[in-house]
Amino acid sequence: MAESISFDRLSFRYRNSESYALKGVTGSIGEGKFVAIMGHEGAGKSTLCFCLNGIVPHFFKGDYSGKTLVNGLEVKKELVSEMAKRVGIVFQDFETQLFSTNVELEMAFGLENLCLRRDEIKRRIDYYLSFVDLNELKNRDISTLSGGQKQRLAIASVLAMEQPILVLDEPLTDLDPEGRRRILKMKDNLKERARVLIMVENDPENIIGSDEIWIMKKGEVISTGRPEDILKNVELLESAGIMVPRHLFFFRKLGLKEIPLTYEESLRLIHEKGYVEMKKERPEIPENICTGGEGIIEFVDVSHIYPNSNYESLKKVNLTIKEGDFVAIVGCNGSGKTTLAKHACGLLIPSKGKVYVRKKDIRTYKRRELASTVGYVFQNPDHQISNYTVFDEVSFGLRMLGIDKKEIKGRVEEALWATGLSGYEELSPFLLSKGERQRVACASILALKPQVLILDEPTTGLDYVHQKSMMEMLKDLNEKGHTIVIITHSPWIVETYATKCVVMKDGRILKEGPTRAVFYDEETLKAASFYPSTLTRIANKLGTKSIKVEEMVEEIKR
Amino acid sequence: MKLSLYLEKDTLIHRLDPRTKIVSSLLLILCALIFNHPLYLAAIFFLILLISLVSSSVKQLLKLKYLLFLLTFFSLILWPFFVKGKSVLFYLLSYPVYKESFYYGLAMGIRLICFVIVGLIYVSTTKNEETTYGLIAFGLPYAFSFAISVALRLVPTFVDTALTIVEAQISRGLDLESKNPLKRIKVLLPLAVPMFVTAIRKTNMLGVALESRGFNPSSKRTFYLQLKMERKDLIALLSVLSFSALCFYIRVFLGLGVIIKGRI
Repeated sequence: MAESISFDRLSFRYRNSESYALKGVTGSIGEGKFVAIMGHEGAGKSTLCFCLNGIVPHFFKGDYSGKTLVNGLEVKKELVSEMAKRVGIVFQDFETQLFSTNVELEMAFGLENLCLRRDEIKRRIDYYLSFVDLNELKNRDISTLSGGQKQRLAIASVLAMEQPILVLDEPLTDLDPEGRRRILKMKDNLKERARVLIMVENDPENIIGSDEIWIMKKGEVISTGRPEDILKNVELLESAGIMVPRHLFFFRKLGLKEIPLTYEESLRLIHEKGYVEMKKERPEIPENICTGGEGIIEFVDVSHIYPNSNYESLKKVNLTIKEGDFVAIVGCNGSGKTTLAKHACGLLIPSKGKVYVRKKDIRTYKRRELASTVGYVFQNPDHQISNYTVFDEVSFGLRMLGIDKKEIKGRVEEALWATGLSGYEELSPFLLSKGERQRVACASILALKPQVLILDEPTTGLDYVHQKSMMEMLKDLNEKGHTIVIITHSPWIVETYATKCVVMKDGRILKEGPTRAVFYDEETLKAASFYPSTLTRIANKLGTKSIKVEEMVEEIKR
Repeated sequence: MKLSLYLEKDTLIHRLDPRTKIVSSLLLILCALIFNHPLYLAAIFFLILLISLVSSSVKQLLKLKYLLFLLTFFSLILWPFFVKGKSVLFYLLSYPVYKESFYYGLAMGIRLICFVIVGLIYVSTTKNEETTYGLIAFGLPYAFSFAISVALRLVPTFVDTALTIVEAQISRGLDLESKNPLKRIKVLLPLAVPMFVTAIRKTNMLGVALESRGFNPSSKRTFYLQLKMERKDLIALLSVLSFSALCFYIRVFLGLGVIIKGRI
């Protein structure tokens, strides 16, 4: 088989960095292959992608040794704009890739550079926009698109160039499950045309269909193999800091020899073993359990219309968040999750209806008073980091409130400890990794000691290890009495941590209640294009009360 | 949130070739420059307002109503102090205020408003890419025209980022509502730093993104949008040209439309 890409002892160290981002990477990828790359944050996955079209070492300079060959060309010796004819790449930070006035012209840009004829450009724009389901937004201004729509556009604009090699660096982060399915579907299409697909992706459920998986750790490729072998190798995945699908643990704990990867295989197995039949003996899952606590945030008939817009982003929403709750808000892009959350902290004022915080109308609060009751952590930490040391950054809000120095010191220490950042006081927040910056942002809100903490996608762009430490920290705060509200797209995070779940669609609440009950209703979740994890779907088939591995095993064995 | 000024609509003005729009805008600005009599400027103002109506950009104009009001107001108040006229209207603390300088101030206000509206009509009816193509058609190099259009494109992106930053800092207790001017300057820093950091990160990646999509300023490329001068362009151009010629004739040969001589 023809070889498309080969790395020969490729090493790279970024200028101003002490350690190597890539260490002697050697390997090759054949025509028509789909290769998935997994690894922890900072493992060198993005750097490896950048080496494929020469961004490293042409734009990001540093020590470069070894060779990268693409279709026999040595990448280092070619211009990036020349390599672009052979390699298409979608960045992890896809928003930087978009710069045109509207969707159609964004699609056209790369095609114009390929010197295609006008009618061909038009044909490809229509074809690839309908592929990612953006056809109706053809004339829309890009700044009015949601995060997920932007990600789909970035992918389509590169796909349309039809290069023999396609590199996608975490292309699914902002997509709802339906959007993910569409993107993943394209792999067969590419295979037919012998095009190579390289995808950096850390969720095993998304890359079961790949031909080969490369595991990276600290700049090295430590293992390669077929997904059946790699994804079942729990020890390998854990040592590389990658999330292991939780249903693997479930089947392991049950003591089964065979470990199924997909839901279909799992289903066959639990039927064979007769676990499903036991379901009848178990009690029904209760629909609505009222859990303790006073209502701390209440939405009463809240509707919201953004200025310059003529449709309601929220439509008569009623919701009570109780003290001590751990609530997850889920739903697809543009369903109103962020709009709802911003109402809870007074960043948005309802067009109709009322929001109460501790039974008091939110409009009667003073800004400062509210900031110490409800804290809001934004999705992008770079939008708030403005001080030169972590200490100053975290104490920012406290200084604004005019609290005395001694008290500030104590509170900052506490917040840093809670976020696992003790000892970072004198470091510059700008030089920390994304995961650490996210935690600094969180600490700076925590220092204000708000009773309620709202976080907008706190784990986006973090790898499994960091996602887990972030969530464990929130769980800890919740146990100490804080009310936590998160917006997320990750099923496992909701299933593992949230006690309550709110499902949103088109500005309305489709369903709310205890997480277990909400996740039992797969139909409703599907309507909001949210798909529970394989483990939960197995739990639903088995009718277990819990969706946590240990408790499920216990219930089955009883 | 929608921030860019371009309005996706299908009006006569939208359908005009960008070259027609660039030339016409410049001509109209020139017309507003040669007169300094408020009556004549008012005539030009109404013509421009009419064009704004046709291009359905009046809504945009209303967003700027405070700016427009301030322009007229300050020009009315300030000009009488700087230009001398003939007939004294009244004395303000033994300082003469002339009728002509008062009119002059009014004229200057109208003129500034005309500039703003012409610019607004242009940006709300023309896509950035069309401007690029238009500039190329006038013989400017592609790389240069492209740079201008990208710069224009980045403005709304930065405004968007700025708004998010403001929200993020307010939710941490940053006091933007303070009336104390010293305090207000102090709060700018926590807004400016993240602004610059994100701007630098963004522009750094922009070059990478452009080349990754095969952009090379010196190599050949095709153009998806096509510019075509049609009959309506010719008609529009001819009308604007004859209007400008008329203005020029009135001003130069008839010597009308001047309230204070020797001043633009």
